Amino acid sequence: MQKTLKKYFAVFALPTVIAFVIAFLVPFFMGVYLSFAKFTTVTNAKWVGTDNYVRAFSDSNFLNALGFTAKFTVVSVIAINVLAFLLALLLTRGIRGTNLFRTAFFMPNLIGGIVLGYIWQLLINGVLLNFGVDITFDASYGFWGLVVLMNWQMIGYMMIIYIAGIQNIPGDVIEAAQIDGATPRQTLLYVTIPLVMPSVTICTFLTLTNSFKLFDQNFALTGGAPARQSAMLALDIFNSFYGRMGYEGVGQAKAVVFFLLVAGIALVQLMLTRSREVEN
Amino acid sequence: MEHSGKRFNTILFVFLLILFFLFLIPILLVLVNSFKGQLFISNAPFALPDATTFSGIDNYVNGVQKIDFFRAFGYSLFITVFSVAAIILFTSMTAWYITRVKSPVTSVLYYLFVFSMVVPFQMVMYTMVKVANVLRLDNPFGIIVIYLGFGAGLSVFMFSGFIKSVPVDIEESSVIDGCSPIQTFFLIVFPILRPTAITVAILNAMWVWNDFLLPYLVIGTKFRTIPIAIQYLQGGYGSRDMGALMAMLVLSIIPIIVFYLTCQKYIIKGVLAGAVKG
Amino acid sequence: MKKVLAFCLAMAMTASMAACSNSTGGSPSSAASAAPQGEQSIYYLNFKPEVASVYEEIAKAYKEETGVTLNVVTAASNTYEQTLKSEIAKTDAPTIFQINGPRGYASWKDYCADLKDTELYKHLTDKSLAVTDGDGVYGIPYVVEGYGIIYNQAIMDKYFKTSGAKAASMAEINSFDKLKAVVEDMTAKKDELGIKGVFSSTSLKPTDNWRWQTHLANVPVYYEFKDNKIDLTSDATKEIKFQYSDNFKNIFDLYLNNSITPKNLLGTKQVTDSMAEFALGQTAMVQNGNWAWSQISGVQGNTVKAEDVKFLPIYTGMPGEENQGLCIGTENFFAINKEAPAEKQKAAEDFLYWLYSSKTGKDFVTNKLNFIAPFDTFTEDEKPTDPLAKEVLNWMSKDGINTVPWNFTVFPSQTFKDDFGAALLQYSQGSKSWVDVKKLVVSEWKSESAQ
Repeated sequence: MQKTLKKYFAVFALPTVIAFVIAFLVPFFMGVYLSFAKFTTVTNAKWVGTDNYVRAFSDSNFLNALGFTAKFTVVSVIAINVLAFLLALLLTRGIRGTNLFRTAFFMPNLIGGIVLGYIWQLLINGVLLNFGVDITFDASYGFWGLVVLMNWQMIGYMMIIYIAGIQNIPGDVIEAAQIDGATPRQTLLYVTIPLVMPSVTICTFLTLTNSFKLFDQNFALTGGAPARQSAMLALDIFNSFYGRMGYEGVGQAKAVVFFLLVAGIALVQLMLTRSREVEN
Repeated sequence: MEHSGKRFNTILFVFLLILFFLFLIPILLVLVNSFKGQLFISNAPFALPDATTFSGIDNYVNGVQKIDFFRAFGYSLFITVFSVAAIILFTSMTAWYITRVKSPVTSVLYYLFVFSMVVPFQMVMYTMVKVANVLRLDNPFGIIVIYLGFGAGLSVFMFSGFIKSVPVDIEESSVIDGCSPIQTFFLIVFPILRPTAITVAILNAMWVWNDFLLPYLVIGTKFRTIPIAIQYLQGGYGSRDMGALMAMLVLSIIPIIVFYLTCQKYIIKGVLAGAVKG
Repeated sequence: MKKVLAFCLAMAMTASMAACSNSTGGSPSSAASAAPQGEQSIYYLNFKPEVASVYEEIAKAYKEETGVTLNVVTAASNTYEQTLKSEIAKTDAPTIFQINGPRGYASWKDYCADLKDTELYKHLTDKSLAVTDGDGVYGIPYVVEGYGIIYNQAIMDKYFKTSGAKAASMAEINSFDKLKAVVEDMTAKKDELGIKGVFSSTSLKPTDNWRWQTHLANVPVYYEFKDNKIDLTSDATKEIKFQYSDNFKNIFDLYLNNSITPKNLLGTKQVTDSMAEFALGQTAMVQNGNWAWSQISGVQGNTVKAEDVKFLPIYTGMPGEENQGLCIGTENFFAINKEAPAEKQKAAEDFLYWLYSSKTGKDFVTNKLNFIAPFDTFTEDEKPTDPLAKEVLNWMSKDGINTVPWNFTVFPSQTFKDDFGAALLQYSQGSKSWVDVKKLVVSEWKSESAQ
């Protein structure tokens, strides 16, 4: 069959490949090239070597965004996973209304980032009003606002994955532990948690990449205010491209750095899952 | 023991119930405020509407006119439906081809698709907008090509993963029976792929429907999807009609909730499968 | 045979993809798509979201009269530069766009055509308003706006009748000292006057602080440039001493101390809030410009009568300010894209001239856009009739009054304004001293100018 099928490249693969070349390959390689060039409209690029990278790393906005993003990612990954796991434990106990709760907790995940940003802007500003400030008063408000928003959005999603993980644990393993006299706490620590580790890996990386690449929520909730102090990497790159004349090349260089960081995270994830597959 | 367990469960139930309302508060808050006059929203978001602050459906009428909401809804729907359809059709075919045909070309393609999954949008943002413009893809039809290309990575990867687990025998016997590869694909392979196709469809629909930056940059000045239209509610000289904003937020959440409640089973299955494989 | 079939199918697929991408004409909204062959079309990237719908009517009228298609695209608020940047790089780039003065011109130099020989420029009343570089004219102002302290005459009249009033009429208030005396006395009598504060909230929310970091700051900066005889187009504007910072502080403190809102709650206030407070009669004064009329008149439960809405200049305690007028100028200049095909540039010139000289066009400008147009094609009775625009015209024509021009068009950057605004908020909350605010202005101005 391979032989017959092989001749059908034009039917089966070509449409996707053409679209892929247009929307991804060409822009990607152009992007890499342009990070070493000075340009305003892509067509008038002039090679400047690593100048853009030097400027990117001497840009205080970029360094600030890098720190902000790293801090945000760590905090939200931990918070989301802990809370989602706890919820998953609660919802696998057969409590009344489990289905309703699951439905409600998952729903925010489907709402788009821009809409979410404005919803939370109203709520957070409403609370902060009592203290005479609003979310743009200080970058730390924006930070915690984003953390809360991200938790609200992602907890339900991660919870679903953890529930699936917990439900996959064979019932007799838990029973055996209980017969052996393990307390509920011991069962949790020595049986349940080790057995849901694959889910933990998945969830950690999902929240990690989602938090790291966050844009829409950041854009709508604070827009980087005050004075770009709450801008994350993706927003800072956007600002470099479209907010300042003469910074297009710097924006592209920042984007390459951003890409390398994201790719690095993915590589670590791949290695972790691979090594587990070998262990099993 | 049994008794205290029950009581404990009741406590947990109450706790979950409280959490349930906490989860819904943001949305309820927007809903309540959408019925208040625009001056009474940011000053007192937690106040319920009363005789002076209640504004009926004014905000809805106003907002729908201001941002041409139904046109935005139309664009969002059109782009989502056709992009998802194109992605399902073309990437499943591609995935079948590159999984079944072993050659240097197909394995390079496979790795390129997988590679594209880890590249963040910002990396290709500026250049993609340029390419789309030069090729005249900056309209609601052309953007489908962009979505197909940019979304191909994950979709091809997911279809390939599934196809690898399908035995090749059935397909081969069908070819021997005189079916062309095209017939084989649509009559034999595609029906088998159905569960994965649903997953891929749901993941891509959620992405395309909510996507902001890509359509904003590629077609946003002329064709506004819902997220872009909402962004456009910011008025001149710093003024913002909070009432219209609240109303439009409500209108943009409603289709999502309806979709979710009708297809809940598939959505949860879909994102679960997507998470495990992606 | 099968191979041929497969090939045909593949071609059909790719062709249909290509067809989709080419079919701009069949797209759902034809408003923005390219005009059919042989017909002229102009692409205008509009800056003012508040008049976007008026421009759509103008496009319709222009099409009817001349057959030329005008595509108006409006950028969302605060995203004009960003939208222009992405649009100008496209194949169908805007033919007409706008720059906000000399700073804007510096950014968009490569795209600004010389407008020296256009009809519209010939009719510009005050040629000094245009953006020029050498012999060339690169931006034509298309609207004149004015700002100052808007006051409610009815409340003021009530005050003048109270016992021990510090002034008997508005004519007496022509300096900062007098204004201060009156305002402080009004604060003391606010219950009697039925107001909650003399001034509306000093909106210091970061997106809404332009009334202070830009408009108010214009006054001391204007005096500084004037005293030092600085040429606005020269590099001498790249540094300031902020020598009249105390004058800024004078009026700013007056706003803060006699406000409807306590100082520590200002960080959440928006311009909309301030205008609503004024419209509802809760305050007697608010600093803003004539564009604010639509906001005042549009407020639900509005208690202010149109004939009571008037302007007072922003007095800051400068010597000789008795003769100071409103701040009048513009930050809206038409520019035509040099890179556009010659016939499109010509069509753009024709359209702009039509808008500001034909009967239909002028009617739109005066009555729908409510612009005070700076061209001699407009007669006396073709001026906007809303109370604030009338007040601006009134102040412009007063004898012996010196209008303060809009020098903030040379303020270095948005970042400068944002940082200045944030500092003003910290000052009002008591966490930053005035000396530090002044230092920040001087150093930020310098560093942002160097960019």
